[in-house]
Amino acid sequence: MFPASDRGFSRRDTALFVGCMVLALTALFAPERITGSLANALRQTVLAPLVWLQGEAELGRSSRARLRSLLAERDSAAYAAQVLPSLTAENERLRALLGLGHRMRNPYVAAEVLHQAQVTDARMLLLNVGSASGVSAFDPIVAPEGLIGVIWNASRNTSVAMTWAHPEFRVSAFTANGSAFGIVAAAPNATGSAAYLEFRGVPYRDSVVPGTVVLSSGLGGVYPKGIPIGTVVNVIREEAGWARVYRVRPAANPGSTAHVLVLTGRRVASVAEAFPSDTVEPAPRRDSVPAEPRRPAVAPKPSDSTSVPKPKPKRPPGDSARARPTAPAAAPAPPPKPAPAPKPAPSPPDSTP
Amino acid sequence: MTGPRTGRLHLGIVFVTLVLLHFYVRPRLFDTRLAPDFLLFGLVVFAMRSGPGAGALAGLLVGLATDSLSPGRFGAATLADVVVGYAAAWGRAVFFADNVLVNAGFVAVGLWVRDLILLVASGTPQGQLLAELGLYSPLQAIITAAAGALVLLAFRQWFAVRLDL
Repeated sequence: MFPASDRGFSRRDTALFVGCMVLALTALFAPERITGSLANALRQTVLAPLVWLQGEAELGRSSRARLRSLLAERDSAAYAAQVLPSLTAENERLRALLGLGHRMRNPYVAAEVLHQAQVTDARMLLLNVGSASGVSAFDPIVAPEGLIGVIWNASRNTSVAMTWAHPEFRVSAFTANGSAFGIVAAAPNATGSAAYLEFRGVPYRDSVVPGTVVLSSGLGGVYPKGIPIGTVVNVIREEAGWARVYRVRPAANPGSTAHVLVLTGRRVASVAEAFPSDTVEPAPRRDSVPAEPRRPAVAPKPSDSTSVPKPKPKRPPGDSARARPTAPAAAPAPPPKPAPAPKPAPSPPDSTP
Repeated sequence: MTGPRTGRLHLGIVFVTLVLLHFYVRPRLFDTRLAPDFLLFGLVVFAMRSGPGAGALAGLLVGLATDSLSPGRFGAATLADVVVGYAAAWGRAVFFADNVLVNAGFVAVGLWVRDLILLVASGTPQGQLLAELGLYSPLQAIITAAAGALVLLAFRQWFAVRLDL
C-alpha cells in the first residue's frame, strides 16, 4: 500500500522546494532561445514517446471522420476523372486565350494538432510535424475554414505554432471587396467561445459593413494573400478620430481544430484559389486574378471568332467542396509558370465554347 | 501487509496508467478544454503521499514536461506545478488525506491554483484571466476531481483510501 504520508516537514524538504522554485523561476525568465532549445530537446528525447502516443490517439479519434471524408473524396474524384481529360484540355485552351498562367499552388504539410489540457492551449499549439517534414519558422498554418496562425519554431519532429488567439499575433489584412486595409490582432479581453479578432487601423473614411470577409493581404511576406481570417461583425471603437477598430468573428477555431495544413517552402503570392468559394463570398476570390480588360459595351457579333465568353467558376461535383484544395496539392506543386503573353487568339473552331 | 517496495511498484503502475490515460485516452474521449488533467491528479496524489520536498521535485518534472508539450510561456507551468506539489504535501498535514473526497478536493483546488499561477505567469490579460478562472478552470477542476476519485476508488486497496464521508 501507499498511504498518505505522515512525515513532517524537514530542512531537506524546504531546500528541495527552494531549489525547485529557483529552477522554475530561471526557466520562466530565461531567454526564449534557451527555453525553446530546451523544450525541443525534451520533446525529441524524453518526451518523444508521449508525443508519439498522443499523436496516435489524435489519429485514432479522427480516423472515422477522415475515412468518411476520404470516401467522399474518392467518389468525387472518380466521378471527376470521367470527364477530366476533356476538362483539362478545355481549361488549357481557355487559359491560353485569356492569358492566364497556371494556378499557383503552395506546397503544404498536413499536421495533427496535439492539444493539451492547459488554459493556454488555444494560444500556442503543438503540431506533430517538424523540420524533417520541411516545416520551418514563420510558415503559415491554415485550416479548411481559414487562417489558424504561424509556426513559432520547429524542431525535427514537432513544431510550435502561435495561433491568432495569442496576444502577439498580427496579420496584415484587407476586406474582401478591397475597400479597407488594416491589421488583424486578437482582442485583448476575449476568451473561450467569445474570442474574437480586431481589425485595427482602418481609416475613418473607409467604412466596412458587417458581414464583410477579411482576408490576409500578403503584405509582410509571411502570410500569402487571400487566406480567410474572419467576418466583420461591428465597430468596436474609434482611435483618435482617424481610424476605426472592427470586431471580426474568426473563420477558424484553433481550440477545436484537429488537423491543419502548414504552408511550406517558397511562398506564393496568393492562395485564394485554395479555399472553397462557398466559405466566403465569391467576389473576393477574383481579386487575386489579374484584372480583365474592360469589355466593350456593345456585345460582340456571333460571327466574331476571337470573342471568348467569361468562364463561370464551376463547383466540383458531389460533396468535394472541401476536398478541392487537397486534390491538386496532393502532388508536389510545380513551379508556377510565367503567364504567357496575351496574343491574338488563333481560335480553332472547337476552342470557342 | 505489503512493504515499501511493493508500494512503490503499485504507485508506478498507477502513474503509468495515468500517463496512458492522459496522452492516449483523453484525446480520444474528451473535449480538450475541459478534459481531466491526469498528470496534475498524479502529481497531487504523489505529493500527498511523499512529502513536500518530493512533491516539489515531482512538480518540477511534471511542469517541465507540461511546458515542453503545451508551449505557452515556458516555465509558467513548472512554477505552478512546483507550488501545487509543495502545497498539496503541506495541505495533507491539515486534512485527512486518506479520504477519497479529500483527495478529490485537493485535486480540484490544486488544478485551479495551478491555472491561476499559470495564467498570471503567462501574462494573460485581465478579462481573459477572469473568464478562465471563473468558468473553465472550475469546470475542469470538477471533472478532473471526479475522474481522480474514480481512479482512487479503482486502486483503493493500494492507496489505502477510505470511503466514509
